[in-house]
Amino acid sequence: MSYYFAIIGTQDNPLFEYEFGTSKQGGDGQAHFNDQARHLNQFVLHSSLDIVEEVQWTNGQLYLKAIDKFFNNYISCFITGSNVKLLLLHQPPSSPGGGASGLGAAASTRSSTSIAANPTSPQTEEAVKNFFTEVYENYVKATMSPFYRANMEIRSPVFRARVVAAGRKYL
Amino acid sequence: MSHCIVLYPYGIYTYSDIKARIKPEHMLQFPSIAVPRQSKAAPIPRRTADVPSRRRPAAFFIFMQPFEDAPLTEPVQPLPMAASAVRLPKQRPSPLAGVGSDTHPLTQSDVSLPFRDRRSNPSTASLFRSTLTPPGSRSASPAPSAGTRSPSRTLSGSVFGGGGFKQSLLDTDAADNPADPLNLILKSFVPHIAIHGSEDVDQLVGDKGFTKGLWELLRPFGERIQGKVTIRDSNGGARSWEDFAVRFTRFGDEVEDPDPVAGTMKSPPPTRPTTANGLGPGGSQKPQPALPTGGLRAASLITQVETVVDRHLTYAEDACMGITTPTTPTRQELDVDTTSPYHALYLRRLLSGIPLACHESFAHPVACVMAISSRNPSPIEALRKLYTETSQGDRRLPVWVDGAYLRYYVLVHDEEQSDISKSMALFNQMKQHFGLHCHLLRIRSSQSAETDDDSIPLPRSDWMTAAEELSDIERSDDQEDFEDPTRHIFESDATAIRTFVREMVTQSVVPNMERNVSVWNDQVASRRRGISGRFMSLSKRFAFGSSNRSSSGAGAGSGSSNNNYDALGFYRPEAPEAVMRRLADFAFMLRDWKLAMSTYDLLRTDFQNDKAWKYHAAANEMAALALLIMPQNMSSKTRIETINQMLEQAFYSYHTRCNSLYGAVRCILLALELLRLRGGSGTDEAVRWGIRLLESRLMGPVGDALLKERLAICYASKQGAGSQAWGSRRRKSALWSVMGAEAWIEQSKFIQAQRCLNEARKMYSLLPSECGVQNFAAASDFLAHLHEKLKEGLSIDIARAHGGDGTGDRQRTREPDLLMDEESETLDNRRSRRTSVVNMSGGGGSGGGGGGGGGGNGTAALETAPLTPLVPARLSSVDDERGDAFSSRDGFA
Repeated sequence: MSYYFAIIGTQDNPLFEYEFGTSKQGGDGQAHFNDQARHLNQFVLHSSLDIVEEVQWTNGQLYLKAIDKFFNNYISCFITGSNVKLLLLHQPPSSPGGGASGLGAAASTRSSTSIAANPTSPQTEEAVKNFFTEVYENYVKATMSPFYRANMEIRSPVFRARVVAAGRKYL
Repeated sequence: MSHCIVLYPYGIYTYSDIKARIKPEHMLQFPSIAVPRQSKAAPIPRRTADVPSRRRPAAFFIFMQPFEDAPLTEPVQPLPMAASAVRLPKQRPSPLAGVGSDTHPLTQSDVSLPFRDRRSNPSTASLFRSTLTPPGSRSASPAPSAGTRSPSRTLSGSVFGGGGFKQSLLDTDAADNPADPLNLILKSFVPHIAIHGSEDVDQLVGDKGFTKGLWELLRPFGERIQGKVTIRDSNGGARSWEDFAVRFTRFGDEVEDPDPVAGTMKSPPPTRPTTANGLGPGGSQKPQPALPTGGLRAASLITQVETVVDRHLTYAEDACMGITTPTTPTRQELDVDTTSPYHALYLRRLLSGIPLACHESFAHPVACVMAISSRNPSPIEALRKLYTETSQGDRRLPVWVDGAYLRYYVLVHDEEQSDISKSMALFNQMKQHFGLHCHLLRIRSSQSAETDDDSIPLPRSDWMTAAEELSDIERSDDQEDFEDPTRHIFESDATAIRTFVREMVTQSVVPNMERNVSVWNDQVASRRRGISGRFMSLSKRFAFGSSNRSSSGAGAGSGSSNNNYDALGFYRPEAPEAVMRRLADFAFMLRDWKLAMSTYDLLRTDFQNDKAWKYHAAANEMAALALLIMPQNMSSKTRIETINQMLEQAFYSYHTRCNSLYGAVRCILLALELLRLRGGSGTDEAVRWGIRLLESRLMGPVGDALLKERLAICYASKQGAGSQAWGSRRRKSALWSVMGAEAWIEQSKFIQAQRCLNEARKMYSLLPSECGVQNFAAASDFLAHLHEKLKEGLSIDIARAHGGDGTGDRQRTREPDLLMDEESETLDNRRSRRTSVVNMSGGGGSGGGGGGGGGGNGTAALETAPLTPLVPARLSSVDDERGDAFSSRDGFA
């Protein structure tokens, strides 16, 4: 399972981007996106903003769950009160063991029940929710910096480290 | 603006000159005629004035295409008068001539514009006429849907709009647009009329220059029946249709054998060896002894379609490269109402080859025309022989075709050689014998030349099969002096045939179909509809369910009395299932969607119980289509769910159970179009199905790219609400445009790629935030890269086209600035931002970011921008990956 996480500002501008892989069940925490198609992650994430704009009105929650699917990519969204979107693109390994090289043969059988293989399962939803909540908390703290202005890129290394930690913890 | 001039490679003409239809091939032969002419103070033609000023070229140049296009879009005429055999490769705007004055004479080099040798024959262009008109030029046509984009067109029905399923799709104006997929669907599922003529008829028609018999002569006339055709539906209500059509086929052509339940299939009966069947390398479907299985055959049909469209694209690429202007398609908004000509062609060729198969009766003849001519010494004998041939003997249709179709007897009278009184006597005799279904067709037997006073060109059939068109194209490649395939017939003949077709359709075929529908409906279908009928099917299912299962497990179902689906893999024509299928198809063809839908719905369960999967797939497919077309008061959500279920079953049965690629592709493509027209959440469903089709990889590269382009249009046609356009899908649309561009570039179809990229840019610029993916580094790099590729490709082609010519250098410098021009126009107010982004991505000065570099103020500065740009290190590393990236088809391996 590979993840691409981005925080999108109100002008469709990315405030923060981070690619990582699953750390559960022997995952090495590295993203295993297809190198030739890496740019598509950004296209896909960007395009799913269309869906966000629609779905946000149907739902009072901040966490909108998995809102979009593009081929084998699922996109979950968490929208903040200031119209900043936290988007997570997850791509399950296309074939057992094929996508995530870190998985051994034994692990791959186990992985069929893991959150990585079932991007729409309730467990995954819950995990993503926890991830989002933690990142959101840190995001609020980061943006409370008096030097931060709206739609500015978040460069804080502390924030990045916290996102990394959250990713490792939940996904 | 008081002058209107048409720039033409060989000189300047006023609008009236063009209007006078100076045939370009004359120009080619006698270039001396084409003296550049000072324009008289001609008033602005109306049509020019109608063009929105945004689309008008900056200088006083109108390109010839819109005028040339006009005859195509003139409605009502059953026979387009000018079957524009004259459509030449399009014109290049010459910036030199176009800058300042409208009377600037063309430079010498432009007059001797180098056409490539193969293209020098204008008649070849007629082969590609269906796609040569740029889609943009259509909006200049009087077609109602072009200029005014009515918001009711796509009925919104998502969060931001009510349900959109109250209305029949036929009441939207999409049904009137000839290139629109809905119209294509209506025109493709039409009654098929087989033509069976005696030898003397073929001879007579052969004298007129039609080598393939009466069929070839009649075919174009079936595409639109003159006048209104009134059809009564099952409830007795009558509705008139302006655009009713029938399809003429040759008797016994295109027969597809059913798959026996057991396994592989027999070889198809060899179709008559005709020139139309001789195919080239692309889609080889020669009448061969090898056994194409059902799947292969269907696959080869798709291959043929792909090849044809590919040829069209290549032709456009060759002919237009450096000559055409990308302005027309790109300077307008992404027009969701016009279909790309290539996509329309793809669909049309896909639908024109509906094989005569057992699982659907669309291609089964509704009627058969038996034709003899007045030259025949023993006419009654001949008719009898024809009749016997159709009902028994080798040439009869396969057993699963109902033999009770209407026989229509035609006496073709030779006006020049035969005696009319004798023919009249014979005709009277025929009438006594055969009753009402007779016609005396009086035509002249001599060949009409183009120069004759009363000759009109007979257009090529829009609905020729992919195989035919391919063979035509290949013939044009082989022969140096390709003869123009456009035939001419006398006006009087055309009138006679038109009358004949109209009379046959309105007085014999349609009433006969109506009668059949009502009889079958009463006798077979309504029994099933009642409570007892449901009970019957239930009891049947439970009582014999077990034996049924065991017998099908043993591979023999023929013995069991309850199962009409026998081991040969088809239903006998008299079986109630087959009759009901015919009933549904007839109702569909007569546009009685409600009856069709309810009948298909009954059949779905029947076929499923019998495990007749191909039948099952086809019934599901048509049920979904009928449900999509007809109006119904059902909430859009339930309806979409029903439709999805049907499509799911159809697709699964076609694809997985029967391996029928043709069916699967057709089913999804058509459903996609109809869902798109339904708007609202239908759009999303349409795209979902499109993605499904892409995932299953049933189509070739051309179809793939076309589909991606189509999905972009799908999303683009979804309207948003409010100033922020919430609920629209502009980013999605742009994404698909980019993917389409990638696919086209991969195939070196740069014109298409350019169109896609422009559309993507337009979509991004329409966003509320007015910027697309520019802030995403990898994505904007990728976009820049596509531009790079595109520019390279375009310039290579130009260099190739004008290589060895003195003008080569100038062309080379001209093309990029053409691109710049158009880009700077779309950039407008976002120029500064764009520039900074380009700089960020590193492509700045070289124009790598798509023309941001210089902006619009100095195109002169860009004119000589290096074509092999100074690619910065960062881009070049991406460059290395590009080759691989293009090989992965949807990008996500």
